Amino acid sequence: MTTEMKSQPVYWKSLEELRQDSRRTVSDRDEFAEPLPWKRASPVMPAADGHSRRDFLTLMGFTLGAAGCSRATTQHALPFVTAPEDLTPGVPNWYASTCGGCSTSCSVLVKVRDGRPIKIEGNAEAPLFGGGTCATGQATVLSLYDGARLKGPLWRGAPAAWQEIDERIESHLRATMARRGRVALLSGTITSPTTRDLIARWSQHYDRFQHVVHDPVSYAGIRRAHQTCFNRAVIPHYRFDRAAMIVGVEADFLGTWLSPVEFTAQYARRRRPAASMAHHVQFESTMTLTGANADVRHALAPSEIGRLVLSLLDRVEQRDRSRVDPPYSIPASALDAIANRLRSHRGESLVVCGVQDEAVQTIVAGLNDVLGNVGRTFGLSPSSLQKQGDEGEVAALIAAMRRGEIDALILYGVNPAYDHPDSDAFLEGLARVPLSVSFADRVDETAAHVHAVCPDHHYLEAWGDAEPVTGVFSLMQPAINPLFDTRAAPGSLLKWLGEPSNWRNELRSYWQRNLFPLQSAERDFDAFWDSRVQAGFLRVPVPPQPSPAFVGDLDAAVNRIREDAHAASRGADEYELHLYETVALRDGRNANNPWLQELPDPISRLTWGHGLAIAPAAADRLGVRDGEIVTLIADAHRVDVPIWRQPGQSANTVSIAFGYGRTHAGPVGNGVGVNAVPLLRQKSGRRSRVVRLEKTGRSTTLAATQTHHSTEGRPVVREATLKSFLGGVGEHGAAAESLPSLWAEHQPGSHTWGLAIDLNACTGCSACVVACQAENNVPVVGKEEVGRSREMHWIRIDRYYQGAEAAPDVLFQPVMCQHCANAPCETVCPVLATVHSADGINEQVYNRCIGTRYCENNCPYKVRRFNWFRYANNPRFDFNMNSALGTMVLNPDVVVRSRGVMEKCSLCVQRIQAGKTAAALSGKAIVDGQIQTACQQACPAKAIVFGDAQDPRSAFARLRQSPRHYHLLDELGTRPGVGYLTKIRNREA
Amino acid sequence: MLDTQWESVARVGGDHSRPARDTWVEGSPALNEISDDIARPLSARPSAGWYGCLAASTTALAVGVGCVTYQIATGIGTWGLNKTVGWAFDITNFVFWIGIGHAGTLISAILLLLRQRWRMSINRSAEAMTIFAVMCAALFPLIHMGRPWMAFWVVPYPNWRGPLWVNFRSPLLWDVFAINTYLTISLVFWYLGMIPDFATLRDRAAAGIKKRIYSLLSLGWDGSQRTWSRYETTCVLLAGLATPLVISVHSIVSMDFATSILPGWHATIFPPYFVAGAVYSGFGMVLLLLIITRRVMGLERYITVQHLDRMAKVTLLTGSLVAFSYSSEFLSAWYGGHADERFVFVNRATGPYAWAFWTMVLCNVCVPQLLWLRRIRSSPAALLPISILINVGMWFERFVIIVTSLHRSYLPSSWVMYYPTSIEIGTLIGSFGLFFTCFLLFIRLLPMIATWEIKGLVGAHGAESPQESHV
Repeated sequence: MTTEMKSQPVYWKSLEELRQDSRRTVSDRDEFAEPLPWKRASPVMPAADGHSRRDFLTLMGFTLGAAGCSRATTQHALPFVTAPEDLTPGVPNWYASTCGGCSTSCSVLVKVRDGRPIKIEGNAEAPLFGGGTCATGQATVLSLYDGARLKGPLWRGAPAAWQEIDERIESHLRATMARRGRVALLSGTITSPTTRDLIARWSQHYDRFQHVVHDPVSYAGIRRAHQTCFNRAVIPHYRFDRAAMIVGVEADFLGTWLSPVEFTAQYARRRRPAASMAHHVQFESTMTLTGANADVRHALAPSEIGRLVLSLLDRVEQRDRSRVDPPYSIPASALDAIANRLRSHRGESLVVCGVQDEAVQTIVAGLNDVLGNVGRTFGLSPSSLQKQGDEGEVAALIAAMRRGEIDALILYGVNPAYDHPDSDAFLEGLARVPLSVSFADRVDETAAHVHAVCPDHHYLEAWGDAEPVTGVFSLMQPAINPLFDTRAAPGSLLKWLGEPSNWRNELRSYWQRNLFPLQSAERDFDAFWDSRVQAGFLRVPVPPQPSPAFVGDLDAAVNRIREDAHAASRGADEYELHLYETVALRDGRNANNPWLQELPDPISRLTWGHGLAIAPAAADRLGVRDGEIVTLIADAHRVDVPIWRQPGQSANTVSIAFGYGRTHAGPVGNGVGVNAVPLLRQKSGRRSRVVRLEKTGRSTTLAATQTHHSTEGRPVVREATLKSFLGGVGEHGAAAESLPSLWAEHQPGSHTWGLAIDLNACTGCSACVVACQAENNVPVVGKEEVGRSREMHWIRIDRYYQGAEAAPDVLFQPVMCQHCANAPCETVCPVLATVHSADGINEQVYNRCIGTRYCENNCPYKVRRFNWFRYANNPRFDFNMNSALGTMVLNPDVVVRSRGVMEKCSLCVQRIQAGKTAAALSGKAIVDGQIQTACQQACPAKAIVFGDAQDPRSAFARLRQSPRHYHLLDELGTRPGVGYLTKIRNREA
Repeated sequence: MLDTQWESVARVGGDHSRPARDTWVEGSPALNEISDDIARPLSARPSAGWYGCLAASTTALAVGVGCVTYQIATGIGTWGLNKTVGWAFDITNFVFWIGIGHAGTLISAILLLLRQRWRMSINRSAEAMTIFAVMCAALFPLIHMGRPWMAFWVVPYPNWRGPLWVNFRSPLLWDVFAINTYLTISLVFWYLGMIPDFATLRDRAAAGIKKRIYSLLSLGWDGSQRTWSRYETTCVLLAGLATPLVISVHSIVSMDFATSILPGWHATIFPPYFVAGAVYSGFGMVLLLLIITRRVMGLERYITVQHLDRMAKVTLLTGSLVAFSYSSEFLSAWYGGHADERFVFVNRATGPYAWAFWTMVLCNVCVPQLLWLRRIRSSPAALLPISILINVGMWFERFVIIVTSLHRSYLPSSWVMYYPTSIEIGTLIGSFGLFFTCFLLFIRLLPMIATWEIKGLVGAHGAESPQESHV
């Protein structure tokens, strides 16, 4: 046979082949004339690995044959007939947009993989927000794939065609207009200038049209006070970065108040441990994220806030205008010190207050005016447009509805049946409205009672714009085709106005008419539009206006507050009630988002529900434990809530969070917690809400991810005062580096990746937790499993209390896998399923893991998470990984782990790999900052820095040299790749 | 040459002129009587007591099979473990059963080398107990895995996954070797010891399937002088091989803990402490089994009160060693000055699992003190509850070591509580079911006392015996 073969004629393609030039023939076999670029650059993949394309084809052929041996489930895939030109499978596209998670309207980037939005990131180039996001913003991408969303419009609860609904609505509106009936639009805050313009056209079209704005958590008091004080009904654009002295009064501006991402970025810039570090004093009823970060925090009852601001004003003005006693909870000396600090920082101090009482806000405005902050830290032009609700107008609208005066009601982005204190009255009025239309994306508490539900797009499917702060515009563009038969709400408004235009053209034309002329960079509108869609934002100069003079009547406000202070009375067995928003759920609109439900509250560490926060001493007096259910009696309203003993809670105040107790949110959010909004209902004339508590004898379990709250004196979170730090006292050098080690040094590869986490910058906001969950396909496990301490988060934020129970210091510490050089987990795994990479990463090999959990036991940081069950495609865990829709959010770069294997932070190895490949393809070295982990990217305070310890110029390497740098549990000799920077408190001790 | 050597050793060791107190068989039965007595359970209909015990243990076994099946089908999540406590009942049971398995080899190997003749009537059942206990123990590392179907990956065999090797630094891998070695040697030892008895049974059995099975098992034993001589040489050699295993197995098991960095686990005292504890619990279990068996099977003549007395003494000795280890642990925690270590021990004695700790102290430190009294040592009625308490105490010892160390370690943010689920309790019950089912079948199907050795013993002080010198 061999001879036969040899006698065959030899055909040749080139001279090289004929002459058997070895180089040429090798490349013939491999098909490519040059080695593939990553083969050239990557140390892990040697250039000549001995496998050719043909080997691959052989193996593939075998695999295909083998695959044919078993019967697999038939799945139909529809390939593109013509592939979209901007879509390369496996390569993400990024689109600039505006977050629709709340009315703050942060600029974001949307990561789209193979046509699916899978991740939200902050737009670092946009003004205001600094590139970070909040937990809610991170989670909004999951809401896109929420199975509870409506699949199409409903007419009287039954699916209907858009055309049919449009005809019904249009004919009703025509009839209403014909008989000059009243049409009302009840919306949430609308930051979109185009939509506002559109609404203005509605009021031109229908002469009895009314637009009422309802914010579940109102900021109307601020605007009313500023109307009287400055003749401008605006919410100031606060500038914490310009303030050396910050006084916060019941305003959780780092967590939930107004614009937390922006404020956190500003705050972090001003809190760097230097001589210029701002001093922060917080007064609040319950422990919030902001209070937890303050240098000085005072707990006080809501009824004391009036007297507090008056006392501050007296002391700042150095005259006894108010003639009131300071709040009993706060020593006068402390107030003197605060006032002195305020006075010594004229023009660079800031007093913010979240109490929606006109008199209190007048005093606060007066304080800022006296301190010369107006126009500096307390900007009235530009001003914030992020909260425009007015509860007075809403009440008037409800009254009109109940009188049957409203002929058509359109509900846009609101759910008053759930979040209005007088929801019964609203529903009663709604029943009398002949046509009610809701744009809700699901049949929520309100939409269940309307005639037509015309579901709005998710913001990732929609065009739109926003103007969060005057002069700062942000665009929203669709990142995916609408998943369901939905329509943009402004598009519906446009349609019913009878305009032939579509919503996108409307948006374009608004920008062409109003914004294009305000800029000079682009001459051509199309180029301008394209560049703005690409960048996602536009900043137009706001004409400078002189700071308005203060014309408020301080004495009248003083008298109001004095009257209220006299009226405030509380029996011995009564408590003042305080309601607040949590970082995870805010006003409850995202209650069906499992990521947010499972996000531990930064303070209480509770997931899947809330408790009635009560001071531990008061709980002892009452004889109740955590989880014990009490009946809260507020006037006629009774509600059963579990007790949560909250250190730092004001002594005679109980606090409960909004956002819970949804009944129509969807399967995930329904029935979690209780709705606190009805507690806001009160008899008139009584300012502080006074409630009684009754024991029920029943108990429930509260699923907290952390059950021990003290560091037990261990130096886990290190802290120092600014004075000692600046004075060089209490440095935290790398003392333990000199400890002897029995282990051989690792041979370092071309990088040594690691993280540096600045505990001084970290506010505990938990955006990183959700970002990590989204990036790494971390499963949601539900309340029962969290209650068994089996949450799966790869990054957690430990929260410790320190000091007295009534006035504790709070410490936050993000903890993820520490990527130890001498990792205790690596030595104990019998099958080498966790190993050290050449790049300094502790890698978990899921395929190899057999699940002995020895690594978990031996990990001193307890960061390893075990797949106790199969969390994907398991009806028992019906969150987002149990449906084809929900799994669309999964990151294809990260494997979904099977049952029985261990997992943990991978340092976003897929991002590192992508960065290395990109660098190799471009032939350049990796630039510091080019690779960002998901937690780092999400952090609004820039507290997490990823980098290469081998690059001495990297920000990470510089931070490792900081005198504040230390390693967690250094004495164990694990030599972590993750380091921490000591927290600095700007106070004496 | 060997023969003469061992004969002389045997003569030196076998002191035949002991007073009657050291007579290890009561009533000087004739040799054929011994064969009859010991073989009776194998041919006669079992008693109602035996059936009752079997019913109870198979029920327990069925519960265990159900629980394990459910757990493997559903996930480790059916247990009460969590992000902080990765091991609890599973490894507690594992160490507990491995510990039980220590008495067998100790009795047959070490006591053989030490020429302790009282071991003769108990060594067979002790060895059987060892094997069943090791089987129960080996079950737990297998089922505690998240993916037990991949368990074979812990075996270093040539493969084409790279080749991907095992991690020789991992104490879990050492366990694999230690337990497999121990199980193998114990099995060989046990089987070897039974060969002459199988021959006896073969000779007694009428033709049929039974005879054929016994012929096969007796490996053509002919009872010649040559066979006996080689046999005994092998026994002593094997005993020499098995002796270090008694020490090594539990030492290595203890290294699962000792080589970790967890306060409460990371202690150099662990190997000897665990070996002492293992022998202690092993003897506790032998006592329990034999007190019941001698009654149920009517073997009071061969397993005498004196045997019980001797075993109680060993129990008292090892129990005292265990108590000493406990105090030593506390001493080093205090003296070492490591704050986290100190905390773990304070937490052990006063924390939420203090009840388990004090149960352990009561059972392992206080109860064995009763064994100083001869009256108690020679009373099966008193020894029975004591042996049960010893086993309870030793189970709690492992629970306390594992759970109290894990649930509150370095970072207080991760401190949690562990509560077992019904599945874990069912699995523990099932392991007892497996153990007792095997043991009950053993006493029914195999000669539970080494007939040939008893004959030697009896022959040594009166009756004629061809194997007089072969002890």
